[in-house]
Amino acid sequence: MSEGRPPALEEGGDRTAAGVGGDVAGAGGDEPAVGGFARRRFVRYLLGFSVISSLAMIVTPIVGFLIPSRAATAGAGGRVLVGTVQALPVGSGAIVAVGSKPAVVVNTPGGVKAYSAICTHLGCIVAWDAAATMIICPCHDGRFNPATGAVVSGPPPAPLPPLTTAVEGDEIYIVSG
Amino acid sequence: MAADVRSTRTPGGATGWVEERLHLGPFVNALLHVPIPRDARTFYLGGITLFLFGIQVVTGTLLALYYSPTPDAAYESVLSITSDVSFGWLIRSVHHWAANLMILFMALHVLRIFVQAAYKYPRELTWIVGGGLLLITIGFGFTGYLLPWDQRAYWATVVGTEIAGGVPLIGPSLLLLLRGGAEVSEATLGRFFGIHVLVLPLLLGGLLALHLLFVHQQGLANPRHAEPRPGRPVPARPPERLKPFFPDYILDEVIAWYAVLAVLVILASLFPVGLEPKADPLVTPEHIKPEWYFLAVYQLLKLVPETVGVVAPVALVLVIVVLPLLDRGGEVLPRRRPIAIACAVLLLVGLAVLTYFGAQV
Repeated sequence: MSEGRPPALEEGGDRTAAGVGGDVAGAGGDEPAVGGFARRRFVRYLLGFSVISSLAMIVTPIVGFLIPSRAATAGAGGRVLVGTVQALPVGSGAIVAVGSKPAVVVNTPGGVKAYSAICTHLGCIVAWDAAATMIICPCHDGRFNPATGAVVSGPPPAPLPPLTTAVEGDEIYIVSG
Repeated sequence: MAADVRSTRTPGGATGWVEERLHLGPFVNALLHVPIPRDARTFYLGGITLFLFGIQVVTGTLLALYYSPTPDAAYESVLSITSDVSFGWLIRSVHHWAANLMILFMALHVLRIFVQAAYKYPRELTWIVGGGLLLITIGFGFTGYLLPWDQRAYWATVVGTEIAGGVPLIGPSLLLLLRGGAEVSEATLGRFFGIHVLVLPLLLGGLLALHLLFVHQQGLANPRHAEPRPGRPVPARPPERLKPFFPDYILDEVIAWYAVLAVLVILASLFPVGLEPKADPLVTPEHIKPEWYFLAVYQLLKLVPETVGVVAPVALVLVIVVLPLLDRGGEVLPRRRPIAIACAVLLLVGLAVLTYFGAQV
């Protein structure tokens, strides 16, 4: 790469100088050979700087454009009403949408619990299995403890991230953001 | 012998590694060798048009990542590109301005070729293929205009397709084919999007490759002398003085590209492209006007019957495309081609006058 470029540049430079004639060629002729090389190196650095800064100018907006905007990546913050205690008696669970992301809500004997419904293994959406009283991922049979979110069995490497719940009167909320 | 030369001259590093395996050196050398007469004055117009097309490919691909081609979502997606996506306004404005500049520089390129008679023997095919490129570029402008799905886009397309419907005989079928139905609708948007991002780029890419291949094979025309033809006496002249395509001509060309890029960024920054209210098929806005390069035809249609107003521009374009087959004289200097130059001046003045009045409300 570096060996291929200099001769081409030198040829071009020489020819341009000869083409322009007079002043450029004259100035070059007065300088000693060492000065000529220093100038050539300086011009080459200048060229490199120009090329790199031009590329940066072009690439910056392109990369910025490709990065999704915050609105597209962030879930909705605040309180989301997910249902009533009547609809979710002890021992039952449901998958609800919190913003654009799913959550699993389970009414356990120890209170209403909610977790991210995205399996920590490969991103499938878990389900509440009332018969097994377990949160189960349908993809690879990962099983999670409804009271803690911890992995009971299967391949998931980490527990389901817990979400904060709030029961106000009859209504169940998930608080996020 | 050849093997010896290669083994001693193969460069090191990554270039050497590839060269040792593929022996691309001679191919690249041949590619970089284009005869450029020292007398040639191209003003870099064709190269600038090519550069602008490259910008359109890049910015268009980026826009397509966020754009949704349905009437329900198109307007909102363009609005989101313009106001939500980082640098979205810039990418969209650059796409808009580069489209306009591409038409402008292409027109100037055609004019340069005409004045210097570079369409004459042996470059007739280069000109004819170039005519195809011109039509495709206009097609890009026409199909791309609808995509934002705002009032201006919608109604310009209603009028534009209606004009196409005025072509004798095939008009009604052409109208139906363009719109994908009786009205400008979801089907039209789907068609225009598909044509804009798939059909035309492939066509343009193919024809462009041919165009560049021809230019590469023939080199640039000398604007001072006609190319010697077989079977005719060759006038005694000193041998043609050439300058290297690489790096001399390429360097000049790249400097011109830099200047155009600067102009483009300035235009996009100072005059970013906006968005009108969302398309409403029940309300035609006042003073609906097409892009500047369609204004002459638009104005002509106000002055003459529709058939004439549609057929005349089509016929004119066809005559221009096949010009090298009609004008086969040997002269290249403008002062020795008074009729051709007079026709061109007349045409330009006519277009300018029509465009001027078309631009008035």
